[in-house]
Amino acid sequence: MKRRSFWSWLWIAIGALYFILPLYSTFDFSLRAKKGVLTFLAYERIFKDPNFWSTIEFSLVIAIFTIIVSILLVVPTAYWIRLRLPKLRVMVEFISMLPFVVPAIVLVFGLIRVFSGAPFFLTNTYFGTYVLLVAGYVVLALPFVFRSVDTGLAAIDVQSLTEAAQSLGANWGTIIFKVIFPNLRVAILSSAFLTLATVIGEYTIASFLVGIKGFGPYMSLIGQNKTYESSSLAIISFLLTWAFMGMIQLFNRGKADTSALAGAR
Amino acid sequence: MPHKKLYYLISFLVVLSMVLTACAPKAAETPAPAAADPMAALIAAAKAEGTLTTIALPHDWCNYGEAIEAFKAKYGLTVNELNPDGGSADEIEAIKANKDNKGPQAPDVIDVGYGFGPQLIAEGIVQPYKVATWDSIPADSKDPNGYWYGDYYGVMAFEVNKDAVPNVPQDWADLLKPEYKGQFALSGDPRASAQAQMSVYAAALYNGGGLDNVQPGLDFFKKINDAGNFVPVIAKQSTVAKGETPIIMRWDYSALSDKDALAGNPNIEVVYPKSGTIAGIYIQAISAYAPHPNAAKLWMEFLYSDEGQNLWLKGYCHPIRYADMQASGTLNADYATKLPTFNGPVAFPSIDQINNSKTVIADNWMTAVGADVK
Amino acid sequence: MSSKPTFFRDNKRDAHNARPSSSGWRNWIVVVPFFLFAFLFILLPSVSLLMRAFRDNDNRFTLMNFVGLLDPSILSAYWVTIRISLTTAVGGGLLGFLMAYAVTVGNLPRPIRTTLMTFSGVASNFAGVPLAFAFIATLGRTGLVTLLLKSVLGVNLYDQGFNLYGFWGLTLTYMFFQFPLMILVITPALDGLKKEWREASENLGASHGMYLRKVAIPILMPSILGSMILLFGNSFGAYATAYSLTGGFINLVTIVIGSQIKGDILYNPGLGYALAIGMVAVMTVMMAIYYFLRRRSERWLRQ
Repeated sequence: MKRRSFWSWLWIAIGALYFILPLYSTFDFSLRAKKGVLTFLAYERIFKDPNFWSTIEFSLVIAIFTIIVSILLVVPTAYWIRLRLPKLRVMVEFISMLPFVVPAIVLVFGLIRVFSGAPFFLTNTYFGTYVLLVAGYVVLALPFVFRSVDTGLAAIDVQSLTEAAQSLGANWGTIIFKVIFPNLRVAILSSAFLTLATVIGEYTIASFLVGIKGFGPYMSLIGQNKTYESSSLAIISFLLTWAFMGMIQLFNRGKADTSALAGAR
Repeated sequence: MPHKKLYYLISFLVVLSMVLTACAPKAAETPAPAAADPMAALIAAAKAEGTLTTIALPHDWCNYGEAIEAFKAKYGLTVNELNPDGGSADEIEAIKANKDNKGPQAPDVIDVGYGFGPQLIAEGIVQPYKVATWDSIPADSKDPNGYWYGDYYGVMAFEVNKDAVPNVPQDWADLLKPEYKGQFALSGDPRASAQAQMSVYAAALYNGGGLDNVQPGLDFFKKINDAGNFVPVIAKQSTVAKGETPIIMRWDYSALSDKDALAGNPNIEVVYPKSGTIAGIYIQAISAYAPHPNAAKLWMEFLYSDEGQNLWLKGYCHPIRYADMQASGTLNADYATKLPTFNGPVAFPSIDQINNSKTVIADNWMTAVGADVK
Repeated sequence: MSSKPTFFRDNKRDAHNARPSSSGWRNWIVVVPFFLFAFLFILLPSVSLLMRAFRDNDNRFTLMNFVGLLDPSILSAYWVTIRISLTTAVGGGLLGFLMAYAVTVGNLPRPIRTTLMTFSGVASNFAGVPLAFAFIATLGRTGLVTLLLKSVLGVNLYDQGFNLYGFWGLTLTYMFFQFPLMILVITPALDGLKKEWREASENLGASHGMYLRKVAIPILMPSILGSMILLFGNSFGAYATAYSLTGGFINLVTIVIGSQIKGDILYNPGLGYALAIGMVAVMTVMMAIYYFLRRRSERWLRQ
């Protein structure tokens, strides 16, 4: 038991060191906005910038919608594939990997070309544009969400759970939402994290669809000629995104711990 | 067998999507060249449109930030700013992708490199317009039919972090000195960035090459790399300030704007290489598919008015109407004095020369310099 | 067959024995939204642009763009991209797995697990210019760690041959988002390792190492492979970090595509889109390899 603990601590320590150093270097640089002294001036300037608040709010809202759509789209599909249509697995997995090989710039121009004209006319209204934006982000997040959910499904016994629920008289809606979803809590959480981070910092799709209204383009604008602010902004966005994930994680508390189902360590 | 049906279905879907996208309806062609409207009518028409969409305009590039704000304040229009980090090709692709789109993603106006002029016309993606001050734009900087027109130019210079490099290089040959080991970088990839490509072109001109002989520029950079002075990273204001790439090459207006932004933390010095350097012109154009053509025209009128040109001057760019405004005394004296003077040779390559040099540099950069960079 | 322990479900047999499937079309309705979404928002947009791979700069039909893929510089671009993706997939997968293992099976305190998971969420997307700068600020010539090593240990990294702006420097940088990605994706599988299995193997006299080698890893292998292919894809499609850090000198396919489609100089979008189609082809091959490996690892799970 003790020996295992030592190795576990070691890996975490190595990992922590690796992650903390680059972040610390950025942080250190961001404190040097004034020559010779350490100051939070670069942070003040960001917090005082109204565009910072408006863009991060905008991207956050888009991120939330992306998470919801992704999960609703992927979980039932991944579940059904495992349960009833295993032959489709190859196809679905391949589709889920496609976003990696389609460059973001190809995707955004493609989306504009296809959906700006007949019969969709999505870009003629702000609402339509935001729909397109969310769709683009669902595509970008798809590989991560699918892999997370699929790994989560592999770890639970889909067949038995479904059979048990069916023999208790549950209909499909109940099965998916009241049996499968709760058992995938960790996987769904991972997907939500990955999607949130993907959307908030994303540049290419945002920059061509909504321009500097998005947080990614805002970061790029700052990065162009405000050296210390761009470092402080990197740290701020890192911490803020981390805080949002902490909040999502809070939703997880108070409910049955998944380890009880998977077996306590 | 389920597999077979599935594959037929997939093939059908792929073919279907190809057909759908190929058969998309084309937008109607835009109106014929407009004669210069009386300003009042133009302003009214622009206000009716209510908004302008720009693309790839960093706020610190020639002081575009202030120009956009001044335009918004003066005429009450809103401005959609797309893709602030984009390059010329991004702007052109964006016009093409938004052909059928009347929404806020379609750029109305573009600002691209001089060499792109002929391509804009050949691909039919811009509409002609002649601003009120058309005649004061030098003839070699505009298309005679009004499809594109030069807006400003800059001169290639060294941007040096003086705190990290007290002994500031003054000329091309200095870049080879051993004291600058691992300190020199470009601000882009010469195969993708016009600014970096022009750096190589400039090197060619004063290190044994000429306007039509660019190879010596590549050889010169190979020498810098062999000396161990070249860092293969994309230099930005932050890497200069950090001291990681304390010597870089970029347009003087960007270097001067960096100097202002950093305000002595660290000290930046902008140096024009003594033997000579190169100038880069940029051009404006209105998209042929602009959803807000009147707002676009008004924006052009604004940029080419004395007020607009002076705002560019404030951003350390040489506005295209410089000579004319100097003669008529409308040039802002304060801004003019802040613009550094350089009395050495400044080359102004033609469009063909630029495009030829692009090809040579792009094709040979990796073999000339990249080979040793693992 | 019957002598095999029945810990593990035989999926194929049970799928057959499960409630008889409802009539054909109703079976498919659940997956329709996904396929419709994929058709509308992945297939249509990509095809509409990738068609340009068949056109040259004068808009005439051509196959020359695909012939252009055989250029040695382009083939080497694919090769170096595959190399870096494989390296970061395996390396990232390894340490990511170990860290995830530490906080799940390794029994570290719960707050550490929560911190690691949320941090991984953020870090998995910390890429591009900010990441490149963070590593420049750490391991560049004037980087914090470089200077520290020089002053404290008297070791000059760069004299020793280290170079952040090369293949290994880029690999090191990529790990920053590969480790967390692995952690996030493999944790649900690690959670699925039942405690009873470890207890049973201990009761049978197996050491922890044997448990790992003979029980845990084989069970996890399909998920590990799946996660690694994800890491491969993630690295394969990455662009901004490499461009910022190595100035285009590490000639990745994404950088070449970028210079053809977005660059100010080369501008041959037909070739750029052909390159993108080439990426789809490479990805397909990698997925085929992955499937082969995964079937082998899953083989003992079925009869």
